[in-house]
Amino acid sequence: MSETPRFDALVIGAGIAGLQAAVDLADQGFKVAIVERDPSIGGAMIALSKVFPTLDCASCITTPKMAAVARHPNITTFTYTEVLSVGRAGDRFVASVLSKPRYVDEEACIGCRKCEYACPVEVVDEFDGRLGARRAAYIPFTTAIPQTALIDADNCTLCGACVRACPTDAVVLDQRPREWQLEATAVVAATGWKLTPVGAKPQYGGGEITNVLEPTQMERLLAPHGPYGRVIRPSDGKIPESVAYVQCAGSRDQTLGVSYCSRVCCMYAIKQAMLLSGSLPIADITIYYMDIRAFGKGYEEFYRSAQAMGIEFVKGKVARLTENDDQSVTVRVERLDQFGQVEERRHDLVVLSLGMLPGEDVRQRFDLEVAEDGFVMTPQPKDAPCRTTVDGIFVAGTASGPKDIVDTIVEAGAAATEASLYISKMIAAAETATAASSADVTSPAADRVEVKV
Amino acid sequence: MAEDAAPKIGVYVCHCGGNISDIADPETVARFASGLPGVAVARTNMFMCSDPGQKLIADDIQAGLVDRVVVAACSPKLHELTFRSVLQRNGLNPYLYEHANIREQVSWATSDHAEATAKSESIVAAAVAKAGRLQPLDPIVVETTPCAAVLGAGVAGLRAARDLAQAGIEVALVEKTAALGGNVAKLDRLFPNQESAGELIGRLVDEVLHDERITLYTLASIDRAEGYVGNFTLHLRQKAGGVVVDRAARLNGRTIGAYRPFEGFMIGDHGAAEEGQNGDDERAVVIEAGALVVATGFEHYTPTKGEYGYERLPQVVTLPDFIELMAGVEPGSRLEHDGRPIKSVGFIHCVGSRQVEGVNKPQADGEINEYCSRVCCTATLAAICDLQEKCPGVAVYDFYQDIRAYGRGHEEYYEKASKGGAVFVRFAGAEPPAVAKAPAGDPCLVTVRCKDGLTWGEEVEAGVDLLVLAVGMTPSDVSTLVDSLKLPVGTDRFLLEVHPKLRPVELAVNGVLVAGASQGPKDVTEATATASAAAAKAMTLLSSGRIELDPFVATVDSQRCEGHGLCVEECAYPGALVLTEENGATRAIVNAALCTGCGACVAVCPTNAIDVAGWTLGQYEAMVDALLAEPQEVTP
Repeated sequence: MSETPRFDALVIGAGIAGLQAAVDLADQGFKVAIVERDPSIGGAMIALSKVFPTLDCASCITTPKMAAVARHPNITTFTYTEVLSVGRAGDRFVASVLSKPRYVDEEACIGCRKCEYACPVEVVDEFDGRLGARRAAYIPFTTAIPQTALIDADNCTLCGACVRACPTDAVVLDQRPREWQLEATAVVAATGWKLTPVGAKPQYGGGEITNVLEPTQMERLLAPHGPYGRVIRPSDGKIPESVAYVQCAGSRDQTLGVSYCSRVCCMYAIKQAMLLSGSLPIADITIYYMDIRAFGKGYEEFYRSAQAMGIEFVKGKVARLTENDDQSVTVRVERLDQFGQVEERRHDLVVLSLGMLPGEDVRQRFDLEVAEDGFVMTPQPKDAPCRTTVDGIFVAGTASGPKDIVDTIVEAGAAATEASLYISKMIAAAETATAASSADVTSPAADRVEVKV
Repeated sequence: MAEDAAPKIGVYVCHCGGNISDIADPETVARFASGLPGVAVARTNMFMCSDPGQKLIADDIQAGLVDRVVVAACSPKLHELTFRSVLQRNGLNPYLYEHANIREQVSWATSDHAEATAKSESIVAAAVAKAGRLQPLDPIVVETTPCAAVLGAGVAGLRAARDLAQAGIEVALVEKTAALGGNVAKLDRLFPNQESAGELIGRLVDEVLHDERITLYTLASIDRAEGYVGNFTLHLRQKAGGVVVDRAARLNGRTIGAYRPFEGFMIGDHGAAEEGQNGDDERAVVIEAGALVVATGFEHYTPTKGEYGYERLPQVVTLPDFIELMAGVEPGSRLEHDGRPIKSVGFIHCVGSRQVEGVNKPQADGEINEYCSRVCCTATLAAICDLQEKCPGVAVYDFYQDIRAYGRGHEEYYEKASKGGAVFVRFAGAEPPAVAKAPAGDPCLVTVRCKDGLTWGEEVEAGVDLLVLAVGMTPSDVSTLVDSLKLPVGTDRFLLEVHPKLRPVELAVNGVLVAGASQGPKDVTEATATASAAAAKAMTLLSSGRIELDPFVATVDSQRCEGHGLCVEECAYPGALVLTEENGATRAIVNAALCTGCGACVAVCPTNAIDVAGWTLGQYEAMVDALLAEPQEVTP
C-alpha cells in the first residue's frame, strides 16, 4: 500500500468487546479498522460452550456479531495482524502493525480445507484447550472468520502436500511478514485477558496433574463441537463420576500476585457444573469456594437453581491437590461447615477456577498507563469508565479489568459512544481550522463518511 | 421474479453445533425437505448463522437456485433478522424468508431422537408451505423526531443526556424531583477511588446545564406515554415549582442551582427560573421524542417494621443513614448517635436482597427479592473502613452471607476492614441473625445473635450500640410508563432487556432504551456504562432521520370491509385502527406505524376483510395443512 490507510477509529482486538465497539461505531457511519492478532476474529468467547445466566450457546451469540463485523461496509478487518505501536501524530494516531504470514494467499484461498485434509502433520490444538489436534495447514475452527487457511510454519515439514492439494494455487510458502501503518482519529483498546497460569501453585500440582483442568479446557469438553464430543477424563477417557471445582485458584491470592477477584469464576464454575449435570447425570459435582459472588442480573437465581439441582457447595479454601495411582485427584480441604475438620476427598476430575490476567502489557505498545493490577488504568472509573490516561484512546472489556460478557458488551457500547463523540469533536475542529486557514485547501475530512454533529 | 413463476424454496437445516443435531437429525430433515413441493435445494450446516452458513444461502441465491428461503434453526428471536439480511444483501426481498424453530421447540424440548426428527420435519413442512405463499413486502418507513427523551436525572440519566447532546441530538431530560443527581448525590465518597459524590454529580450537572441542546424539566412525572419508535409522545405533569431549563432560561444567565450534600443538585430554589415557568399550579407538558432512555433508577429497600429491629429500636439504621451520619464525623472525634456515644457497630448484609422464601416477608406483589443487589457488600466495607479510619476505637461486627467485593479495587476494602479488626460472622440465608434489645444493665444497647459459618456453626452473640442494615435496591415505580408503552418487566420487578448479551440496553419496545439501575442493581461505574451504551443505540436510531419498521401490520380489503367496526373495538392500540367514511361507505383503515400486527382484528372480522401482512389466513391454512399431513414415505 503506497498511501497510509486512514480510518475514523482503530479497534484493537476482535473479541466480543472489540466486535461490539466496532459495530456500534460503524453503525453511526464511522470508518473502522479492527485489528486482531489471531488468524480469526471471535476472541475467547467463541471457544466457550454455553454462557451464563441464560445458557445460550456461546457460538449463537458470537457468530452473528462476527459476521456483522465481517460484512459491515464501514469496517475493515485485519486478522493475524499485531499492533506494534500506537503513537500520536497531530490530531491522529498512527499505528504500526505487523501482518504475519499465513503462507496462503488470502484472495485466492476459497476455504475448501483440502490443504488441511492433505497435511500429514498433527499439532496440539490450542483452540481446543490442547485436548485435541489440528494439522499444520488449517482453518482455526469451523466458524472462523475469515475462512482462510494458514500454515503453522513452526510445525510445517515443507512436504508440499498442501501445495499439491490446493485447487487454487493459494499456498505461498515464501510469504513474508509485512509491517505497515494505518491512521485513525480514535483508538479503542479491547486487548482482552488471559488465564492465570495453571501451574502457578505447587500445592495444586503445579500444572503437572493430568486430570486437573483449566476452566477453558472444560469449556471445550462441554462444547457440542469440542474435541471429544462429550465429557471424558483426558488421562484415560474415563467418564468422570465426580468432578470438583476449586474456586479462587488464581485470584484473591496474594501469593500469586493476583489479589483481586476475577468476577467470572464463580459463575462459570456454577454454569459448567449445571452443564455437567446435564451431560453426566449421575456424576457428583462439588464446588469448593470462599464466597460465591453471584452478583449480576439473574445470577443469584442461577446459583439457587444450581443448588436445587443437587450441586454441592462446600465452603473452604482447598489446601492441596494430589494425584492418586488411579489418576483420580485428592482434594484436601478444611470443612468450615463441619467443625473445621480437615477432609480428603477423591474426584475423577478437578477444574481449577483460574482467574483473569491482562491479555497483554499494553505499555509496550501504547503510551497508556496501567494500574497496580496490570490492567489499563481508567482515571475516571465512576463517570467515564472507558477513558484512559490518553485523550482519544478508550478501553473496552477485560483490558481494564476482569469482567463478564454482559458487562463487557455494555462497556463496549460505552467505549463506542466515547470514541464517537471524540471523533466528531476532532472532525469539527479540523473543519473549523480548515475553513479559517483557506477556502482552497481541501478539507482533511472530505474523504470521511458524513457524520451528523 | 416473474409473478407466476413457481417458487424455488431453499431449505437450510442447522446443527447448532450439536444443540439440534444431538437430538434431531438435520440430514434426515434435509432429505425430507428436499422432497417437499417447491423445494429446490435442502442443505445442512454446523452453524447456519456463521459466515460459512450464510454463504450457503448467498451462493444459492446468486446461482439462481432459490428465490425463497427457510432456515430451520433456533428461535426466530435470535436469528430471523440475520437471515433476512442475507436475502437482502443478495438481491431478494427480505420478507421472502421463513424461520423454522427446531431448537427451542424441538431439540431442547424433546428427548426422543426419532420423535424429534419427525417433529422437525413437520415444522419444516409447515414453514415450506408458508414460504411458497410469501409475497415480497416493503418495510414501513417513518420519519423520526430528532429528539431523545431521557427519563430520570440520576447519574445514568445525566450521563446519557450529556452523551446524546454532545452527539448533536436534542434532549428532553425529565426529573421527578426538584434535584439532579438521584441516589448518587445522596452519598459521600464513592468506592473504589473515594471520589466525592458531590463533585462527580457536579461535573455531570455542569455539562448538562451548559449544553443548550438539553431541555430540563424538574418535578415532572409521566402521566401517559404513547407512540412508537421514532415518534413517541410523553404527557408530563409538572408540579408547582417545577423548572424548565431551556435555551431561553440559559440566556438569562443567572445561577440555576447549587449542590446540597445528601439532597442533590437543587434546581430552581435560587430564583433562577424564568418567570412563568415557576408558577403555582401544576401544568401539563407534552414532549415529542424519537427515542426514550429510561433511567429511572432505584429506591433503597425499606425494611419492614421490626425487620432486624428496624423502626422498633432507635439504634437500628440503614446504610444510607449511616453514610450520612459518618460524613459529619471529624476524624478522631467521638462517634455519637441519638445522643449516645457509640463504641461498637454491627452491620448486616443482604437486607432486602437474596431473600429466602418462607424466611423473609414477601414484597407488595407477594414475591421475595431473590436477587443480589450487587453494591451493598463493597459499600458496607467502604463504610467500615471509613468508620475505622475516623473512629479507630470502635468495634465492628459484620454479618454477611458471601462477601461480594467483585470489582476493581473492591477487594482492597475487604482486606483493609479485616486488618482494621472488623469481626466477620457468616450467616446462612435461611437462618438470618436475630436482633433484640439488650437486657437492662448490658453495656450495649442491641444484641445480634447468629449461627456463625466461619466458626463451624457456633452460636455467637454480639452486643452493639448501633446496627447498620445494608439495604438493597428495589426498582423505582415506573408503572405508568410500563403500562402505557407495555414495557417488559422481569420477575425481579426491574425493567427487562431484550437479551443480556445481544441487546443489553434495549427493551422489547423498539426505540425504548434502558440505562442504570432501572434495569437491575448497578454501581456508578456500571450505571454510566449502560447510559453511554444506551446513548450509542439512540444515536444510531436517530442519525438518519428515518426508521424502517417491519411490515407485519393489518391490511384491510376495502372491497370486503362492511364497516362493522368490531375490529376497532377489539384493537388494543389507540389510533392503530379507525373507521372512516369512504365514498359514503364506512371502512376501517390502519395506521401502519401504530399497528403491532397482533391480529386481534383479524379474528373478529365477520367478512374476513383483514389480514396481517406476512401472516395471512391463507398462509396459516397452508401451514396447518402441512402440519397435519400424513407423514410421507421418504425414499433415501
